[in-house]
Amino acid sequence: MLELNAVEVRFKDRTTLQIPHLRFEEGHTYGIIGENGSGKTTLLRLLAGTLAPTSGQVLSSVSRDNLAYLPQSPYSFSFSVLRNVSMGLPRSAERKTRATEALAKVGLSELAGARGDRLSGGEAQRMGLARVIALPRRCLILDEPTSATDIRGMDRIETVLREYARETGCLLIFSTHAPAQALRLAEEVIFLEKSQLVEMGSASQLLRHPQDERTRSFLKHWQLGGVGGTEPVGEAR
Amino acid sequence: MLQEIFSLLFGPNPELREIIGVTLRMSFFSTLISALLGLPLGVLLGGNEFRGRSWITRVVNTLMGLPPVVAGLIVFLLLSRSGPLGSLRLLYSVQAMVIAQVLLITPIITGLTANLVSLRAASIRETCAGIGLNAYQRLWYTVLECRVPFISTILAGFGRAIAEVGAVQMVGGNIQYKTRVMTTAIMMQTNMGHFEFAIALGGVLLLLSFLINSAVHYIQELDSRA
Repeated sequence: MLELNAVEVRFKDRTTLQIPHLRFEEGHTYGIIGENGSGKTTLLRLLAGTLAPTSGQVLSSVSRDNLAYLPQSPYSFSFSVLRNVSMGLPRSAERKTRATEALAKVGLSELAGARGDRLSGGEAQRMGLARVIALPRRCLILDEPTSATDIRGMDRIETVLREYARETGCLLIFSTHAPAQALRLAEEVIFLEKSQLVEMGSASQLLRHPQDERTRSFLKHWQLGGVGGTEPVGEAR
Repeated sequence: MLQEIFSLLFGPNPELREIIGVTLRMSFFSTLISALLGLPLGVLLGGNEFRGRSWITRVVNTLMGLPPVVAGLIVFLLLSRSGPLGSLRLLYSVQAMVIAQVLLITPIITGLTANLVSLRAASIRETCAGIGLNAYQRLWYTVLECRVPFISTILAGFGRAIAEVGAVQMVGGNIQYKTRVMTTAIMMQTNMGHFEFAIALGGVLLLLSFLINSAVHYIQELDSRA
């Protein structure tokens, strides 16, 4: 479980996030949507523990070892892709096997020996994903995990996330610009605007029948129907 | 000119060889000490957020442009007989020249290192924290990632050390067979009208600079080909 209580984050004089209360339950999948600068990354960084709130509390029942966070632009180290993926794994006989399996899942097996810093944006994002899914974790937090990928790469990542969530039963939280992706992957969706939590609810309820005018205004730009694979991961688990 | 350089380098007069020896010894030790001080300081400064960081960065950046004669003056005052370190009797020695060089080069290595690290630090920190690596592991990966630019930074420091004249003239005294280095010798020979010797020395200095730059280029090439 992850919980925010009366949390506020300020950078200099600007409030970048203000959330009275928000709770994430284990075994569920949450999608966070909102425009650029709405506070999605700040919220994810708070949950991942890489950012401390200016005021308020972030409570977590998940130990640090059991939580993984994928930033929007993960760093690609100049050593091999395989080593990039295995760097977070404990030293053991299984280390290489786990990293190789994770690379196979994201479709980068053939690039295992290539330098990490020579990958394209989409490949680097998939390598970053392999890095965080190489171990089973109780909580996975992903900041726009498909922002640099093409449609095929996005489909692969969504499939990998569905399988990972099903296999581990983890709490999965991700942000996205695309409400259609939130509908495909998430059980619960959170809409942020101007650093505030506007609305939260089940994916189909919030995305198809938003209650708040601001959510409706945000969603009117998006075509939710007609996008394939709209089954939320929770129903597929 | 090449013939002149060769005859001075390999001829019976040992002076030029002695001058090159002192120059390399002084530049090597001053760069080594500066690297040992400047690299960790630069990593700490560039890789961490802490109160006063911006102020320290400004001081380091200012010291990067410290005029050599000011560094020479500070060390001269410290090491002169009436100075606080006068009892060490280091003035007009290679050690004094190394101290002055360290004062000049350490901020350069610190500043360049901090800049290199700060460009990558935030992204590396977040990526490493995301998979649960501790602060030491993050530091290790940051240093590993910056290893090639670090070598370039150290060699830039060496380049500065070998070409410096003001500070070493003040604290070394340009004593023949003792503290005379290439730059101070060039200055003296030019003042005396011995242009052939000065040009030969200048040629050797240029050759050394070329070799240093080639080494940097070669290391960067090796890394990019890997």
